Amino acid sequence: MKKLMQALIAVLLVAFGLLYAVDHLNASSGQTAGNTLTVYNWGDYIDAELIDRFEEETGIKVIYETFDSNEAMMTKIEQGGTTYDVAVPSEYMIEKMREQDLLYPIDHSRLPNLMYIDERFMDLPFDPGNRYSIPYFWGTVGILYNTDKVKSEITAWNDLWKPEFRNDILMIDGAREVIGMGLNSLGYSLNDTNEKHLQEAKAKLDTLTPNIKAIVGDEIRMLMENDEAAIGLVWSGTASELMWKKDNLEYVVPEEGSNLWFDNMVIPKTAKNIEAAYSFINFMLDPEVAAQNTEYVGYSTPNKKALELMPEDIVKDERFYPSADMTARLEVYENLGPEMLAHYNELFLKFKMHRK
Amino acid sequence: MARFWPRAYLIFVFILLYAPIFYLMFYSFNSGGTMSSFEGFTLDWYKELFADTRLLIIVLNTVVIALFSAAVSTIIGVLGALAIIYARKRIYQNALISLNNVLIVSPDVIIGASFLILFTIIGVKLGFASVLLAHIAFSVPIVVIMVLPKLEEMSSTLIDAARDLGASRLDILTKVILPYITPGIFAGFFMALTYSLDDFAVTFFVTGNGFTTLSVEIYSLARRGISLNVNALSTLLFLFTIFLVIGYYFIQKRNEKSAVGVRK
Repeated sequence: MKKLMQALIAVLLVAFGLLYAVDHLNASSGQTAGNTLTVYNWGDYIDAELIDRFEEETGIKVIYETFDSNEAMMTKIEQGGTTYDVAVPSEYMIEKMREQDLLYPIDHSRLPNLMYIDERFMDLPFDPGNRYSIPYFWGTVGILYNTDKVKSEITAWNDLWKPEFRNDILMIDGAREVIGMGLNSLGYSLNDTNEKHLQEAKAKLDTLTPNIKAIVGDEIRMLMENDEAAIGLVWSGTASELMWKKDNLEYVVPEEGSNLWFDNMVIPKTAKNIEAAYSFINFMLDPEVAAQNTEYVGYSTPNKKALELMPEDIVKDERFYPSADMTARLEVYENLGPEMLAHYNELFLKFKMHRK
Repeated sequence: MARFWPRAYLIFVFILLYAPIFYLMFYSFNSGGTMSSFEGFTLDWYKELFADTRLLIIVLNTVVIALFSAAVSTIIGVLGALAIIYARKRIYQNALISLNNVLIVSPDVIIGASFLILFTIIGVKLGFASVLLAHIAFSVPIVVIMVLPKLEEMSSTLIDAARDLGASRLDILTKVILPYITPGIFAGFFMALTYSLDDFAVTFFVTGNGFTTLSVEIYSLARRGISLNVNALSTLLFLFTIFLVIGYYFIQKRNEKSAVGVRK
């Protein structure tokens, strides 16, 4: 009994000691109760220096939390019990959150820096008039290929059907992405709901199966990085990150057209410190801040003024900042409604089950 | 020769189990920045690790949660095990044990999701308290399972003898039963500690408001590929665990020697 009591006391002492240490660390990093802002963002999706700078400039303490999928974020916000003041969902999730009344409308007059955002990225179908969301980063879906393995140049979706790529293509495990690619390769819109076009796209995709090595999720990064496949269907963010690490990878936005995606800042209904949320969003829209953040994260910024401040070789890179001509052929996913989405999923499932 | 194959097999299994850990530790010294090729030796990742207060706070929080939840759940678990063993009817006993086991085998995801719903309904703010409560809750059944066999193996004559000699009920508990089952209690405590340290699924649901534990944080980081300072951190944690295990071994060793006679 004595031994047990001693052990218990020792454990509690250590635990309280550590708790004190945590407190001390929190205090030394300036974390005190009071004026705090909770930001809920994707992992490693901001330059940490900027958070420090924001804290210094405003005196607001930022609690930075991360999520790894739109769905996980939505669950946390929907359930309540959290106090996120700013979150960064992707466009289709913004639409969903808007429908479920989880977002506060954004008062544009409180965001003077909003004028720096390129008008091409405002007022898009997922959030007309940007009532609920402010662009953070954007990108495309395209083809990442390994120049050691691919000798010819790839410029279009249709290049993927070449017999030389047999068993050498990795696909994203996403119905919208894959079916969209099928539709695009035929020259249709990736929001097409015409049954005939969809069946055509599915039939065309079926003929691609001999070339497909695997349909994967996030592992695609690792597989491409380790030269496991010649070609991968990826988001531009993944591509820029991998190309930064490896010289033998090349990214192209297919000429037939592709998807344009967004991660936007929103103020969810869980927000407690709306004042701070506005100043944070406004801070992130500042051209200089946006430029620094873009250089760190490597995604494409919607901030027109920031582009002027960034090194030429990044801004002029048509792979990540496609020309106006190309941008015209990019489309944002529209919400097709649950029924159509189920149909897309079913087509995708059938495609996955198609025998080589 | 007859001894060669069993030994070779054992070595093979251990290599299989430890190789990934050592692979990860090896790359924590890589100056290259990725896990694909080793370019040179560096301690930069360790420096970066100690400079990152946020990560350090998360590590400490994880340990604090583990210690508290293990301590509390050990107390509750021991009492629970006593209640089960002294249940009057055999059928109650079996029912209680089965209910306990159900909690151990039921998927973490379901436990986590139900905690999230529960906490939001009763208005517990997600954070330190919610994580601690959830960890205590899923550790209790494990402690019970670790303590029960010790109680079962204890001869009832010990208690009869104590009662004969005039021990009160409290004396019997503190001077006879608890000393006898001490090894089981420690085993339960350490199991609860490790369960809490490495739990991901339940914690994932109940973290929030700036409070997070290591496993959840690493999972979020993985979206953009894991930086090598996570390797460095894992290396330190692994060494810490090894250190704990060795320490525990020596404590037990010492106790075995002194425990031959009658306990106080």
